Amino acid sequence: MMNKGFMMIGLGLVTSTLVGIAHAVEEGDPAPDFALPSIYADQPAIALADMPGKTVYVDFWASWCAPCLTSLPLYNDLYNKYRDQGLEVVAINVDNPIEDGLDFLLDTPLDFLIPSDPEGDMATQFSVIGMPSSYLIGPDGEVKLVHMGFRPTDMEMIEAAIVANLPD
Amino acid sequence: MIRLMAVLITLGVLTGCSQVQPWERGYLAKQEMAWDSDPLERALNDHIFFSKEASSGGNIAAGGGCGCN
Amino acid sequence: MKKPASRSLIALSTSALALPGIAEADTPPLTSSLSYKISNYQEDELSREQVPFGELERYDIDVHQFQFISPLGRDYALFINANHENMSGASPWFSTAGTNGQPVINMSGASGIYDSRSEVSIGARYYGTRGNIGGAIGYSEENDYRAKYVSMSGSRNFNNDLTTLTVSLSHSDDSIFPSDAERFNRVRHENKRASSVAVSLSQVLNPVASFQTALSLTGQSGFLSDPYKLQDSRPDGKTQIAFANSLRYFFIEADGALQSDYRYYRDDFGVRSHTLDLSWFQNVTRSLKIVPMLRYYSQTAADFYTNIDDFLKPLSESQSSDYRLSAFGAVSGGLSVVADFGGWSATLTAERYVANEKYSAFTVDQPSPGLVQFTRLSLGVNYSF
Repeated sequence: MMNKGFMMIGLGLVTSTLVGIAHAVEEGDPAPDFALPSIYADQPAIALADMPGKTVYVDFWASWCAPCLTSLPLYNDLYNKYRDQGLEVVAINVDNPIEDGLDFLLDTPLDFLIPSDPEGDMATQFSVIGMPSSYLIGPDGEVKLVHMGFRPTDMEMIEAAIVANLPD
Repeated sequence: MIRLMAVLITLGVLTGCSQVQPWERGYLAKQEMAWDSDPLERALNDHIFFSKEASSGGNIAAGGGCGCN
Repeated sequence: MKKPASRSLIALSTSALALPGIAEADTPPLTSSLSYKISNYQEDELSREQVPFGELERYDIDVHQFQFISPLGRDYALFINANHENMSGASPWFSTAGTNGQPVINMSGASGIYDSRSEVSIGARYYGTRGNIGGAIGYSEENDYRAKYVSMSGSRNFNNDLTTLTVSLSHSDDSIFPSDAERFNRVRHENKRASSVAVSLSQVLNPVASFQTALSLTGQSGFLSDPYKLQDSRPDGKTQIAFANSLRYFFIEADGALQSDYRYYRDDFGVRSHTLDLSWFQNVTRSLKIVPMLRYYSQTAADFYTNIDDFLKPLSESQSSDYRLSAFGAVSGGLSVVADFGGWSATLTAERYVANEKYSAFTVDQPSPGLVQFTRLSLGVNYSF
């Protein structure tokens, strides 16, 4: 028990150093390449490499994050509006246990891709600094928009950014 | 010297503590982990104990008075 | 196509904003909520040993509490609270020596007391990227007491939102106009003011634990005596200090959380006290929680407390036989059952409180014969939309 505590503190110090070095993904950066299993056991893995030439909206969410749950149905509407024009929405779930995320999806069916990242590997690579965080990746693989937090009125700005970055 | 060490240790512990990543805060977000998980219950209790005991105050500045004490 | 908000969202909408470190930006409540709680508070009767003559019955109070919370635009929230209570019963009037020399109580008016209190407060809060700030004004009225108060508080998050500093201020301006003042030669109209400042610091310790430490300072001035007691004279100023520490710890294996709150208090009436509050939140199913609670309280007596009134003492000298200023200990226990049904939730609570000089953590020189035992039952409902 004691050892575990010390290990956690130690681990904390190590991570803090690493995070301190790793820099948060910003607008203009190349998007980190992600590959994750789907939250649904019967669906294939989800990777950025499989979406060349598309506009990808990556969102980190969890069932315990209230603004996240507000945003998802709105993203679903947006996805259905622009999917034919080359938009992919990838909503990376960081729930641990995964069942909490699946529970929410039972009540709220969503049409876009939902990978599962229970250990936060991708969240670490993106250096997510708050929940929810979302990243708009252009067809050229560059991050066009980083958005932190969510309030329903943010949709207008997000939609405008997506429209401006849809593939030609 | 001892003071400096104490400061360094405190800082070390705090940074150690502080590395709970944003995506690792699921348990902390539960209602039962809130400082005030049932505001009406808390208000009622504060009111009862304020009127039956000599002590008051604590986490937040006291509210209004009543003729109960 | 407005869909009803999901259950998990509603459960979160009110709690998450009170926590540090959940989102980068502080978020106002995302849904509106309406809460109502009805409670019955009943004090045990006193015994013939404690009260040789007259009524034995003490207070019986019904309390109604309402709360409405609503998001207001993108960054604000509105809070409205209203309370109403009806009380009947009697309270200790003066204290004398009984036939065996032990203190006995004489209760107020044979017909008892009937009173009601109404209170309303309204507040607003702004939620910014690194914290929140807000205030409230309130008004409380009884047939012999009126209070007007104002409060403000602000929180700021640091250190990736794992540390939160909160500062709060409040001021209350009260008027006292005792009923039957002429008949009983009571004061006619007096005033009382209280100002309070509190600073608290919360820190997330690890993914399942957070800690808060807080210091509050309150100054009171004006008429601080009890106008309904035959011989009650207290200083016209009082300074109170409280130091509170809270821990929240989630036990993953047990699927339950421990809430632990400890407070040390002292004031310049000479009262010092310890309060320890423990609650265990056990998740039984996704929509059912059982919450046992245990509380221990103990205080020293005020310097001028006496358990037998000295009617020869001049009023210029402080004196009070108020049991609330005596040294005692109190143990209380309770149980809540919390059920969540989508947008609705209901909470049923039962609590039993027993004060006794035997439970005191401090030496008791003059035990009060008037300590309180009470039973409280509450039913609360909350609707989010």
